[in-house]
Amino acid sequence: MNFDFSPEEQTFADEVEAWLVENHDPVVMDHHRENFSQLSDTPERRAFMKKLAAKGWLGMSWPKEYGGQEIEGVYEFILTEALARHAAPQIGKGVGIIGKTLIRHGSDKLKQEFLPKILSAEVEFAVGYSEPQAGSDAANMQLKADKVEGGWNLNGQKMWTTSAHFAEWYWVGARTDPDKSKHNGISLFLIPMDHPGLEVQSLPTIGKDTTNQVFFEDVFVPDDYLVGVRGRGFQYIAEALDLERFTMFTLSPITNRTQVLVDYAKTSKRDGKPVRENPDTRRLIANIVTDTAVSKALSTRFLCAARGGGKPPTIPSSQYKLFTTSLSQRVCDEALDISGAAGTIREGQELAPLLGRFEGAYRATMNETVGGGSSEIQKNIIARRHLGLPKNF
Amino acid sequence: MDLDLSEEQEAIRDMTHSLLEEYSSVEAVRIAEDDPKGVPEALWKQLSEGGLVGVLIPEEFGGGGLGMVEAALIYEEIGRAMAPTPHFVSGVMSASVMLEAGSEAQKLAWLPKIASGEAVLTPAWIEPERGYGEVGVQLEAKREGDDFVLSGTKLSVNYAGVAERLLVLARSEDGVEILLVDPHAEGVRLTHYLSQSGEPHYKVDFDGVRVPTSDRVGEAGSGWATWDTVMHRGIVLLAAQAIGGAARCLEETVEYAKVRVQFDKPLGAFQALAHYMADASTHIDGGRVLVHEAAWNAAEGRSIARFAPMAKLFACNTYQQTTKVCAQIWGGVAFTIEYDVQMFFRRAKELQLSWWDTPYLEEMIAADVLD
Repeated sequence: MNFDFSPEEQTFADEVEAWLVENHDPVVMDHHRENFSQLSDTPERRAFMKKLAAKGWLGMSWPKEYGGQEIEGVYEFILTEALARHAAPQIGKGVGIIGKTLIRHGSDKLKQEFLPKILSAEVEFAVGYSEPQAGSDAANMQLKADKVEGGWNLNGQKMWTTSAHFAEWYWVGARTDPDKSKHNGISLFLIPMDHPGLEVQSLPTIGKDTTNQVFFEDVFVPDDYLVGVRGRGFQYIAEALDLERFTMFTLSPITNRTQVLVDYAKTSKRDGKPVRENPDTRRLIANIVTDTAVSKALSTRFLCAARGGGKPPTIPSSQYKLFTTSLSQRVCDEALDISGAAGTIREGQELAPLLGRFEGAYRATMNETVGGGSSEIQKNIIARRHLGLPKNF
Repeated sequence: MDLDLSEEQEAIRDMTHSLLEEYSSVEAVRIAEDDPKGVPEALWKQLSEGGLVGVLIPEEFGGGGLGMVEAALIYEEIGRAMAPTPHFVSGVMSASVMLEAGSEAQKLAWLPKIASGEAVLTPAWIEPERGYGEVGVQLEAKREGDDFVLSGTKLSVNYAGVAERLLVLARSEDGVEILLVDPHAEGVRLTHYLSQSGEPHYKVDFDGVRVPTSDRVGEAGSGWATWDTVMHRGIVLLAAQAIGGAARCLEETVEYAKVRVQFDKPLGAFQALAHYMADASTHIDGGRVLVHEAAWNAAEGRSIARFAPMAKLFACNTYQQTTKVCAQIWGGVAFTIEYDVQMFFRRAKELQLSWWDTPYLEEMIAADVLD
């Protein structure tokens, strides 16, 4: 048993931290963007990713033959948490779900085309799984892929494609085999985002950023751009989701918010009395700090279970996501309770406590218990696959 | 970073598990409930001979000389088995007070006996209508010549009926003292009363009890500092106990939910119930790592000022909440004495209220974070 990083891991953590301090740029790193800070969606942020790539920090856990370093996932965890701590963009879907799925299941052609560009931060991806009729029931996707000469013809609609308005490539699940069972009729495709048959429509959110819906009209995709084996798409998606769940919801933003809340309680006054002396505030903060330590414990549990490579462990990943996203919302909620009436002032105005950090975060975190598999889906996974309870839906 | 147990740690856990399976069966636990002695003789003998009572006592004093991580593993098993034993009051709290502040003579006199199970010592701390902090210790220790004269009342003195000595927290003109007192001495009156868990609790009245100053453990007025240090380690183990109890209660409930049928479906096929169990398992699995982190930090000699209260706060909340939802899943039978889930239910609440309760722990954490 050991709760410390190894000396080598600690050296790397220190190196990353020093580099991020040295390369601090308020245009690139903005805590007020909350979970959206992980996107590489502006020219400045993309330039930052190129610097990260030049450090050799993209794809560290990939096999050497694909340009990786074959080092343990813990180094990517250290990097990911450090980037989140600084509200810098994340190493992202390219290195994660797309790169890793291509390495495991992709053709040589797709590997050669995409893996080097991922490592040099030259390509951004958008992911299209959800549809109007496929929310939590992700395997219910209906986007049609009809077989045509030399490829596939796609028609239908995707929802919640957050990166559609800036990405170059679209990673899309579509139904290639409608006669097969719902989990076995889906295939994955790679499509250039500027394909004339794609129409991206913005869906503004109550967070500060937008997501999108995407319409497909006769989008032709050559055979070569079907990923892996036809009909195996949902299995690839499920495999990668275990990973996404963990890296999408880093712990650092929560420890960061908890610290901001603690500092606020320590320095602000209500009716002339220090807020930190209020007994209700003290109880509340004691419990938030404790639950933050539990989130960290669940993250440690995931990391240790994932050691030695192989598939990311599903159960620790679901437990971490379930607990952490709900805590994340609670921190914002209770910070607003502590702020009282001033908590109603919209983010970004001088009048607001902490420039409205928690007012904004309260809105921005609303979706955390839904995206990446809702809390209820996580509980179903835990109930069935961890506790061995019968199927319940 | 790894959560793996060493071979030795696994062996200790497995040995404790099988020992308790045999000597702390549910039947044995039920018989011990409400008994003034409260510990099955065979169980105590096995725990002592197996070296488990002396786990934290150094080898030079006849103990096992193991650390906090090993002790936490033992306590998770004690929690699972609901083991009725003065292990905590004697092998953990009294032994640790001795180790922390005792003179060489006191250590030599008592630690080997504690480790071998030959003597049980138990702290007498809590007072009527007083709280868990230093100010709650008001039992008077008046200095008369070379003696302290004790007057006042203590509550929640667990296992006093089998104790050879009490470690009495009392207030002298120098502050809080910890005094070794023979429960059979003149002026000491023990009254057994029933507790929620059925563990033996005693009210102890002190009426002009004379204690030689040589029976003070530690320097004059140093008692609270000693107690506070020892408590920090003790509550990490109680947190482990809570996780063990919660884990077993949930396991038994999950098995029941697979076989009990209503509306032509097993209970576990109802999401409302399955989600209770998924939540509980998440809290138990996370809580266990937090407890291990606290124990590991203690073993490494690092501060547990924040980890210890966080571990007990979260683990005891988890235990209490788990037993509550488990009772809900069992339904009406949970309310009957015949079924076992009520045994966990009562113990969870008692553990949450004992040895620093929720408000006290929350304030400890808040003070560490905010002040």
